[in-house]
Amino acid sequence: MNKEEIYILSAKQISMQQPLDEEWMEHPLYPSEPFVRALNPDFKPYIPPMEARRMGSILKRAIAVSVEALRNSGLVVSTDNAVPSVDAVITGTGYGCIENTELFLDPLCREGENLLKPTCFMQSTHNTIGAQIAIRTGNHGYNMTYAHKHISFESALYDAWLQLRLKKIGTALVGGHDEMTPVFFEILRKGGIFGQGAEVCGEAATAVVLGGGKAVDSKQRLCRLAGMRILSHFDTETLNVALQGLLVGAGHTVDDIDAVLCGVSGNPSSDTLYRSEISRMVGEKPLLRYKHIFGQSFTASGLGFYVAVQCLKRGFIPDFLYVNEKMQLSGAPKCLLLYNRGDGHSCSLILLEA
Amino acid sequence: MDAAPVWITGSGVVSAIGLNKRECLAALLAERSGVEEVQYLQTSHHEFPVGEVKLSNEQMRKRLGIAPDALTTRTALMGMLALQEALQEAEVSAGMLPETAFISGTTVGGMDKSEQYYLDFLSGESHMEYIALHDCGSCSEVVAQHFGKWAMVTTPSTACSSAANAIILGANMIRCGEAEIVVAGGSECITKFHLNGFHSLMILDERPCRPFDATRNGLNLGEGAAYLVLESAEHAQRRGVQAQALLSGYGNACDAFHQTASSPDGEGAFLAMKEALEMAGLSPQSIGYVNAHGTGTPNNDLSESHALRRIFGSQLPPFSSTKPFTGHTTSASGSIEAVFCLLAMRNGFIPSNLNWSQPLEEGVVPVTVTRKAGLEHVLCNAFGFGGNDSSLLFSKPVGR
Repeated sequence: MNKEEIYILSAKQISMQQPLDEEWMEHPLYPSEPFVRALNPDFKPYIPPMEARRMGSILKRAIAVSVEALRNSGLVVSTDNAVPSVDAVITGTGYGCIENTELFLDPLCREGENLLKPTCFMQSTHNTIGAQIAIRTGNHGYNMTYAHKHISFESALYDAWLQLRLKKIGTALVGGHDEMTPVFFEILRKGGIFGQGAEVCGEAATAVVLGGGKAVDSKQRLCRLAGMRILSHFDTETLNVALQGLLVGAGHTVDDIDAVLCGVSGNPSSDTLYRSEISRMVGEKPLLRYKHIFGQSFTASGLGFYVAVQCLKRGFIPDFLYVNEKMQLSGAPKCLLLYNRGDGHSCSLILLEA
Repeated sequence: MDAAPVWITGSGVVSAIGLNKRECLAALLAERSGVEEVQYLQTSHHEFPVGEVKLSNEQMRKRLGIAPDALTTRTALMGMLALQEALQEAEVSAGMLPETAFISGTTVGGMDKSEQYYLDFLSGESHMEYIALHDCGSCSEVVAQHFGKWAMVTTPSTACSSAANAIILGANMIRCGEAEIVVAGGSECITKFHLNGFHSLMILDERPCRPFDATRNGLNLGEGAAYLVLESAEHAQRRGVQAQALLSGYGNACDAFHQTASSPDGEGAFLAMKEALEMAGLSPQSIGYVNAHGTGTPNNDLSESHALRRIFGSQLPPFSSTKPFTGHTTSASGSIEAVFCLLAMRNGFIPSNLNWSQPLEEGVVPVTVTRKAGLEHVLCNAFGFGGNDSSLLFSKPVGR
């Protein structure tokens, strides 16, 4: 068991950075407001305009970013499909389709229980995202959605990782999707959920294609998913045991970790905990961040995963990702640890290797 | 593929027909439905019968020993009641929780509070603490934390197949060696949000629902929670607990047809049942009972009938939908009906498909009178919006 190697075949994003490419690595956009919406690509190549008009942002972005990830995965396109097929479509979303939820909830609460729009309700369910991806890519495979706060993306990744190791599936499309409306952001800010301190809230759409073992063309491998853990209680000892297990399983020691990518966001209380927990786990290592240019959301960690994959693929980490620019790697990164502690309810540890 | 069955060493359930397994069993045997006029939900839609859990939130708090001012939601309270029964039966102590994973499916999450306080949220002046409970994951966290610290907690959210999918994830974790014990299922309360949502889709019946009947005209909403304790055989044997049943196969497939409607040929349902059978290494003939998804909507039941025909041919095993007892408990239905399947296997009976009188177009006829039957293997279907179709295959432990 556990001998199946799992590779990342492609990774794409839509966020507050230029969509669907890696322009941010050269020219990052820095947010200047506490809430910044995603930059949408032109959806015409992905969705007929008539249909797109009836769709919430989260669905349009999820379809576009998933199709791009599938097209770039190097997987073979069957004759009757426009994009390559995968064995599983697994989605993470913290709040789900919040635009349509609001469009249904607002009149329900203001005007009462009549004349409510079925389209908004149909699109308010979390698994609308995965269902739309499946419908549009003709995928009858395993379809699953997770909605668990800051580890929504990791839960989806974990499901894929388990099934790839069990060889129940050979390929998977894993996504992390959250949209945000100005009204809902205001509620969350006042409720103390997001936008605390210098934290900038954003929107996330990440799509990653994973493949298991020998079936995967070696030229197409961006990096290897060496292992992962999700924990729901994480005192120092639990974290250290989990990290040790992760490293041993991947055939590594703590010395092999080149840098730690973490979710510091400008929220002073969680940023402090990030630093202390990481230093207790791995000692002094270069610390990387991404939320200052991608923003905070329940599935921001999906964007973090994408960032780490791109850095490993290119063998270079842009200066602006270092928390402390004086503590930089000299060579190409070979092994990155990703640590997401969310709001303290759950955390995830992911080991990626070039 | 290595398909060693996963053991089920405990289960718990709360639904309109009972607050635990004993009460639910009695109602199933007595053919006593819990679907009636709305009593607890604050709604103007009294024309639609519903399957509510027969307790107010305050009564649930009291039973659980939760302070009146502690933040919680109805979905979380029902989840705690069901989880308590499951943990007790499987003899899972608080000391074991840090090694135990909790997978709890839900879709409405804390919507009962959000719809109550939405206008307060907008003004930002009161009840802001409840926004922290709006999302699905918070609901699972609140349930989990009532019992202690767990190894891992996560939340599948695939509408009406959420709880079945939670069980699938849990089983994969055990088979992969990532966990030795996982508690999986789901919880969902009725909210105005989805009562009105289903109403806007025109799939609620003003009469008691009639799954697989020619006159069926929609579903009745229900609510509840149920969990199964899943365990590796080695782990259960080490601590000396018995298997109530085995999870010997499961399948999840996507209909990929329409956001809320099922395909005419039931492709997703067919693939899910086929996968479950293949994984268990069983022929369709070995299935003694199918607990159908059978919502009572014209579309679901016809599509599911086609899928059943495609799997079983003319030799259809006895099948029924238990939704006339409980209403459609949406995200929790997969685990509530799984517990009903375990009760049926354990007590040797097939629950009746209440309210049935005339065969539908496809001509399949459900079991309409509760009857005795020795059951070795049963299939339990749960299908969700988005064509999210799952099927679980339970088997009687050898020698029981």
